[in-house]
Order: sequence, then C-alpha cells, then structure tokens
Amino acid sequence: MSALAELDLASVQDRIQTEVQRAIQRSIKGVEYFSTSGPTLGSTPKDILHSRGTMNLYHYRPMAKEVYRVPVLIVMATTNRGYILDLVPGQSFIEFLLKRGYDVYMLDWIPPKPEERCLGMEDYVLDFIPDCIRRVQQDSGEQDISVIGYCFGGVLSLLYGSIFPDGPMRNLICFTTPIDFRKLELFSNFADRRYFDVDHLVDSVGNVPPEMILSSFEMLRPASRVVGQVQLWENIWNDEYVKSFRMFDRWATDTLPLAGEYFRAITKDLLWDNKLYHGTMSVGGRPADLANIKVPILHAVAEHDHIVPYDAAKHLIAKVGSNDKEEVMLKGGHVSLVAGANAVKRLWPKLDSWLGGRSI
Amino acid sequence: MADSSNDPFALWRKMLGEMEKGFNTFANQAMTSPQFSKAMNQAGGATVGAQKQLGNLMERYLLAMNMPSRAQMVDMAERLQSIEGHLNDIKTLLQQMSANAAARPQPAATAALKPPRTKRPSQQPSGEAKQPSGEQK
Repeated sequence: MSALAELDLASVQDRIQTEVQRAIQRSIKGVEYFSTSGPTLGSTPKDILHSRGTMNLYHYRPMAKEVYRVPVLIVMATTNRGYILDLVPGQSFIEFLLKRGYDVYMLDWIPPKPEERCLGMEDYVLDFIPDCIRRVQQDSGEQDISVIGYCFGGVLSLLYGSIFPDGPMRNLICFTTPIDFRKLELFSNFADRRYFDVDHLVDSVGNVPPEMILSSFEMLRPASRVVGQVQLWENIWNDEYVKSFRMFDRWATDTLPLAGEYFRAITKDLLWDNKLYHGTMSVGGRPADLANIKVPILHAVAEHDHIVPYDAAKHLIAKVGSNDKEEVMLKGGHVSLVAGANAVKRLWPKLDSWLGGRSI
Repeated sequence: MADSSNDPFALWRKMLGEMEKGFNTFANQAMTSPQFSKAMNQAGGATVGAQKQLGNLMERYLLAMNMPSRAQMVDMAERLQSIEGHLNDIKTLLQQMSANAAARPQPAATAALKPPRTKRPSQQPSGEAKQPSGEQK
C-alpha cells in the first residue's frame, strides 16, 4: 500500500515537473506565436494559366519524370481557398498527386468583386468550368480530363458533368459532396423560406459577405472555436501542434464572399427546392440530371462530417448513371478527410489507387 | 506515469472535450427549431436593412462633401488592377513573340516541365507521411 502511494507520489511529481516545464515553454512560445506569422501555405510551384474575375486556373509544375496521360482538374469549393489542398511540403495533397505522376490543374476562386454580384450558377457551370477545361486541354494537349470536386466544387462538377455528358470529362471524383440539401439540417433551418428573405439580403448587400459565410459554418459547432483557443494555449509548447493549428485556422477563417445571384440560386434551387436531389435541377435552362453522368465516379465521404453529413451525401452514387462507381467512407471530418494526418494515410492513397488505372 | 483517471490534467482535458461536445449538441438542437430561424433572420434582416440605409446615407453625405465613397475607391482600385492585368497580358504576349522570333530551341528546363505522358500505375504503396491532424471546420 505504501509502495503504491510512493509510486503515485513519484508520478505526480513527474507530472507536475512536466507541467511546470510546459508552462515555461508556453510563455516563451506564446510570445513567439504572436510575433511570428504562420507557415507559408500553397507554396507548391505553379503557374497561373488563366485568370478572369473571380476565377484563377493554376497549373502545378510536374514533379515526376513521366506523368499519366489524363490531366487532373481540381474544382475548389466557392466558399474557401484552394490551399487547403496544398498546405506545406510533406502535407500537401497537390504535392502528393504531382509526385505520384499526375498533371495537376486547379480552378481556385478569389473574392468576387462588387460588380460580379450578378454571377449566377450558369456562369460557374456553363462558363468558368468549360473555359478551364478548354484551357487544360490546350495546355496539356489531351482531350480527356479527370475532375476532382471538393464539397461545393463537387456540386459544380456534377452539374457540369450532367449537362455535358459526352465529355471531355473522363473521370469524376467528389469529396464530401451534398446531394440532399434538406439533410444539411442546420443550413436548411438558417435558410428557412418562411423567415429568410434571400432576395432582400442579395438586393441589399450584393455579394454575400465572408463574415456571414464564416458565421454560418461556425454556428454548426458554436463551442469549438473557444475550445480550440484553450487547446491551443495548452499545446502551445508543441511546435507541431501550433503549426497544424495555424494552418487549419488560417484556412478556415479565410472564407470567401459569394456572388449574390449565385447565392440566391443556391438558396432557392438547392436549399429550398432541393432540385439536385429531386432531379429537377437546371442551369441556364439546361437540365442537369445526375443520371446523365456515365463516367467512372468515386465519392469520398467522411464519417464525422458535420458540414455535409452522410445523409446529405449518400445519394450521389445511386443517382449517377455510371456503371463504374464507388463510394468510400473514411474516418475523419469535412476537412480532415482531405488534409491532415488522416488524409495522408487514408484518402490520398485510396484516390491514387482508384485514379491511376483510369488515367492512362 | 499516473493513471489518467487520477491525472487532473487529463481529467481537465476530458472535461473540456465533453463540455464542447455537450454544448455543441445542445446548441445544434436549439438551432434546428423554427423559432431560432425566425429570430436569427429577423435580427439579420434588420441589420442588413440598417446597413443598407446607413450606406445610402453615407453615400449622400460624401457626395455633398465632394468626396469619393468607398465603393468608388474600390471601383478605381479594380480598374487599376484590370489595367495591370492587361499590361501583364501584353508583357506575356511580347515575351512570347520575342521568343518565337528568336526561334530558339526549347531550353532543357522548359522541356523538363512537360514530362512524357507515359506513366502507368505502379504497385508501389503510397508512403505514409507523418503529420499533425487538424479539424477546425
């Protein structure tokens, strides 16, 4: 009994010693934290192939001696910056693809300007994506293109694929892409048509401000920001934790405004009428039925996704007309599915094994 | 090492995690109610309306003072950016024309940017890099 007490006493002493050391480190690192900027993100070498308004098309410089025949175009979500897929060397999805021999392009977004408030869904689906596809074809010299869409980038890619079923899209990969918008329960409730006057909002502010988009994301987990700050303080002695925190925090708060008409269309067509799920969606008067999509498709969903829960995403595979289709559910959340330690071990190798054979 | 059930720091972390989960769940339940949507949108609508009115008022005030509004300044900045963009396009075009005129053979570095499209899938497993996790959003 006394031996046990001695052991406990010794371990408690060790614990206190560790905590004291950490407290000292916290003070030192805390000063460092506020006096330094975070790691440089999105630094994989790239060229701007085309830039027009809110749209930027990047071409990443190949890192392999030979590349797959079919280039890859990544379509980023319109609410966030593309550097989540290119954090820092060693933790970059883009770098992983390049090293695995893919020729990678990205359609990324910058904040729409006030005069771009009139950009609608048809501009994104019938203009920006086809324009980028054409430029990728010209630059690569290949007709076929694999498209990867993240979150709402997946929705745009699906709409594009369903309107242009005859190509040139060769493969489609969607990450955490919502189909049944009624199952985005909180977003649906925030935008309840009885109380949310989207016309008044868009007519008043033009482009929907990023603060509003960020708030609506943060309201999904209202305690997490405060707890995140407490956890940061606790772990501020840990350089790796701080580096990771800064990368993800910077990205999460770097939200983009949404073009007014585009937001109006998302609210009315998707959140209110759930047209993608019901198969009644059209863009610029052109029907966008998911059943038109016949190309090989992979849908990666996250088990603990609080932004796009599985109930909202699970219908994709059933609704597309492809014979070669697969859904893969991986552990993680909406972001950790595509970036971070989980992604490195789970999604990236899965994507490589799926896409490699379909890119020749 | 002390048993985590006796470790006050481990207990604190566990409690923090549980509190976060509990509060998020509670708040999410409250936010799914129509009453929440109504209150949120009433407040939001009023704010948007007030912002618009204030913006209009400021616009008139600045006009009276013969000063440019923020929107006009942003517009000017955008026009400058647009001009810069056009200049860059012209510069690129001139560089391309100059390169074509010289009809030089492609340098090795440029050629290296276009590797052959002959890659086939290998059986090599992907490396598992070590990195910290993060889930902020």
